Amino acid sequence: MNPIEQFELQRIGAPYFINGVDVSFTNSALYMLLAAFAAIVLTIGATSRRALVPGRGQALAEVLYEFVANTVRSTAGKEGMRFFPFVFTLFTFILMSNLIGLVPYTFSLSSQIVVTFAFAAFVITLVILYGLYRHGFGFLKLFVPHGVPAPVLVVLIPIEIISFLSRPVSLSVRLFANILAGHITLAVFGGFVVMLLGAGAWAALSPIPILAVVAMYALELLVNCLQAFVFAVLTCVYLNDAIHPGH
Amino acid sequence: MRAGKNESDQELRARLEKLQAELGSKEEERRAEIGGGLPVGGSFGKALSAGFTVLSEFVAAILVGALIGWQADGWFGTKPWLLVLFLGLGVAAGFYNVFRFAAPKDARGGG
Repeated sequence: MNPIEQFELQRIGAPYFINGVDVSFTNSALYMLLAAFAAIVLTIGATSRRALVPGRGQALAEVLYEFVANTVRSTAGKEGMRFFPFVFTLFTFILMSNLIGLVPYTFSLSSQIVVTFAFAAFVITLVILYGLYRHGFGFLKLFVPHGVPAPVLVVLIPIEIISFLSRPVSLSVRLFANILAGHITLAVFGGFVVMLLGAGAWAALSPIPILAVVAMYALELLVNCLQAFVFAVLTCVYLNDAIHPGH
Repeated sequence: MRAGKNESDQELRARLEKLQAELGSKEEERRAEIGGGLPVGGSFGKALSAGFTVLSEFVAAILVGALIGWQADGWFGTKPWLLVLFLGLGVAAGFYNVFRFAAPKDARGGG
């Protein structure tokens, strides 16, 4: 009944070290493979028949594609569409791992800050590299808001730089904290049911936390999908900055 | 004289409306071209995501500011002062993040 036991990393099979670094196959790695596999099944498997009138799986894949394409187009503009494959991959992977993590007895990948920070660091590195490649040092205009007098710039430029550096932090912590908090809450309320059932006459109250768990499960479903979406949208927003700095 | 002034008023208004419409369509074109940032407002889900975004951006900026100041203090041996300075800048950056998120992103809004 320990509510954070579910986030424990466990080795699957023999421990394996490279230069003293533990690279054993863990449950985290297993669920990464599962999420990738689920995304592949959904997008490649379901659309392999290429029916003109889509079946259920194909319709789902098409809705997903259209949804992400519209998001990218509306947040990063037409030019942002060159990053569509990247954003789509990121979104489907996070969505699949979140949805798999909601199944009881599974492991939720996004509850590990290492995983979410790796995503966020990758996104920010991509933004910086693409911005420098596209605009050279003109990319640094991102830190200089136009139409501001010089004395104000002395204060505003450090603020802009801190604000830019805070992006990977906020991106990773948001996803990680929401998933972690959600799963802990569900586990704690589940624990209440067990405790009430074991407390004699108090067992009569046990349906109350069950109802709470059901309601929160619905909310968690929404939050899990939403966080995948927010991650994708903010990736687009940051990529938009790399494509059009100084706007 | 009176009638002439009225007419020019009407003409002026018509021109103003035409310009307004043109400006609106230009703005829409620009938005389609470069993208308009986060979709704010609307349903419960959108409101929820906007809330999460604002909260985490605000907190993250303060944390990053404090971390920079703390680290710089360690390097330069100026114990509390750079931490104080960068914490202040971090809070400002946090408010700036929130402002940028909430402010309308059109051509006349600056930023």
